[in-house]
Amino acid sequence: MTSLLLRREAAPERRTLPAGPLASVLGVVLLAALTAAVAWGSTSVPAGEVWSVVWRRLSGEAPRPGTNDLIVWQLRVPRALLAALVGAGLGLVGAAVQALVRNPLADPYLLGISNGASLGAVAAIVLGLGAGGTLGLGLSGAAFAGALATFALVWAVARRGGGFAPLRLVLAGVAIGQFLSGFTSYLVLRAGDEQQTHSLLFWLMGSLSGANWDLLAVPAAAVPAGWLCLQARARGLNALLMGDETAAGLGIDVNRLRRELFTVTSVLTGVLVAVSGAIAFVALMVPHVCRLLVGGDHRRLLPVSALLGALLLVVVDIVCRTAMDTQELPVGVVTSLIGAPALLYLLDRRLGSGS
Amino acid sequence: MRIDIEDLHVAYAGRTVVAGARLIAAEGEITGLVGPNGSGKSTLLRTVYRHLEPTAGRVLLSGTDLRRLSPVEAARHVAALPQERGGDFELTVREVVAMGRTPYKRAFAGEDATDRDLVARALADVGMERHTGRRFTELSGGERQRVLLARAFAQQPDVLVLDEPTNHLDIRHQVELLALLRDRRRTTLVSLHDLNAAASVCDRLHVLHEGHVVASGPPLEVLRPALLAEVFGVRAAVAEHPLTGDPLIAFDHRAPADGPSGPVEPAGAGIPKSAPSGVSEAGPGRSRG
Repeated sequence: MTSLLLRREAAPERRTLPAGPLASVLGVVLLAALTAAVAWGSTSVPAGEVWSVVWRRLSGEAPRPGTNDLIVWQLRVPRALLAALVGAGLGLVGAAVQALVRNPLADPYLLGISNGASLGAVAAIVLGLGAGGTLGLGLSGAAFAGALATFALVWAVARRGGGFAPLRLVLAGVAIGQFLSGFTSYLVLRAGDEQQTHSLLFWLMGSLSGANWDLLAVPAAAVPAGWLCLQARARGLNALLMGDETAAGLGIDVNRLRRELFTVTSVLTGVLVAVSGAIAFVALMVPHVCRLLVGGDHRRLLPVSALLGALLLVVVDIVCRTAMDTQELPVGVVTSLIGAPALLYLLDRRLGSGS
Repeated sequence: MRIDIEDLHVAYAGRTVVAGARLIAAEGEITGLVGPNGSGKSTLLRTVYRHLEPTAGRVLLSGTDLRRLSPVEAARHVAALPQERGGDFELTVREVVAMGRTPYKRAFAGEDATDRDLVARALADVGMERHTGRRFTELSGGERQRVLLARAFAQQPDVLVLDEPTNHLDIRHQVELLALLRDRRRTTLVSLHDLNAAASVCDRLHVLHEGHVVASGPPLEVLRPALLAEVFGVRAAVAEHPLTGDPLIAFDHRAPADGPSGPVEPAGAGIPKSAPSGVSEAGPGRSRG
């Protein structure tokens, strides 16, 4: 019988890259991109000086006078690190949410968390909690509070019988997200002055311009912690791709896994949106591209998505800071400009393959 | 290992679908579950692979209540092949089969030599070892079912639970899949729509009707025209299969049976017992067991 089954020509292998070497390459390129991000800008700093400043600061030596120490250490390093952390976080959250709702084209912002964070931030600016319209800690706190409140609301609406059905979760997230963004739009409209409106819009589009060392602390803890939480559940994420019944048959408590994933991804999304606004498309695109590179197994997909997300956002932020002489672009504008055509290409590829 | 289902009640989407089902899947036998749409077959099976919890009654795994086991422990004994398609996530054939090792792996644990060996053997068992790098979603329906069966094999289960595994397969692929079940025999609980396939592959059948088991036994004893008329609402004659000697059910496709008063042929009527001479060279009846 088996010999009968074998009489078929072997079909083409799906070409994927080995994840280990790819991750190493991405890591090296990321370091180079971080160096470039610190070196390039209105004032150019040689790469050697970048690393010597970083080395002096890390080893506790006094900064050498007459150097670009302040620009490098107080402005550009935190900003480059924030870009890397937010990009890595978005890559992770995207991969996890796509498995959570079993849709490779899902975006974590579908779950409404980012709308809640935006409303929190905008309310803080309009009500005067944000210090001078900058991305201060108060503003981030308000955004994160908005994210958590929305998480609780979506949880309450989407929950049924101890778990979340994917479609129910998405519908609850979209409905609540739209409801909240109505409030946000109203607040933007009645914002007092032009400066306020400008800072609101800048924040809503997603921007890394508020980066400083204080702002970095929470994402620097949350992104690695979130990665560990998700990586520990990588096999469960894989099983969810096949369906809830399959996952149950593999010994996974599906309701519990969904509750955990929804919690981890919501908190992480809240942290990211709180420090950088809702940067579009990164969380949608990066896992998708990574699946093409290393396949769908989350044990490889998660770390590679984190690295590629970090690299993408560091590079995009360089473009945002240097493309225009007079002002910088919000990073979300550029990710949208890249992301929309890339998404259309991937959709075409997916639909064109006949599946 | 054997499975005893005792007075099982299961609700699905707020409705009691299985209401007092009792059956036994004996060690090493292929036990078939047949019944019309909505009779509770899938719901009953979902309880065995722990997707659903019983509202009353028990599922016993060699005497142990399934609910006493953790989901992971249960999955080391029972592997399932549900009716799900899954999303398109670029998983390869090998990755899908390797999922079968999930109940044996701790968080962060990688694949070891045992896992790789079991996955390779499972792929070879279903004849898919040359397709390991293909995308799962690109496979044909028959290939897909074989890969899912390999995943179940990689799980090293004592009991295999399959929900309509031949659905949407052409006849050749149906035959291949059922032959695999017979060749790699272990305690198996399988629901099947095709009564002739069930009669040929199963050692024992249980007929499910409105959530209860209304008949149990070897296929020839269970699949009687009166029962087929009552449970399935069709007129049918049962004869001996000219090639295999299994029960062969011939349906009257022109009209349904109108309840118990409808004309029902006695067993064996209508079709000659001996094979027609034109096909007799195909060989004697296959011996089973």
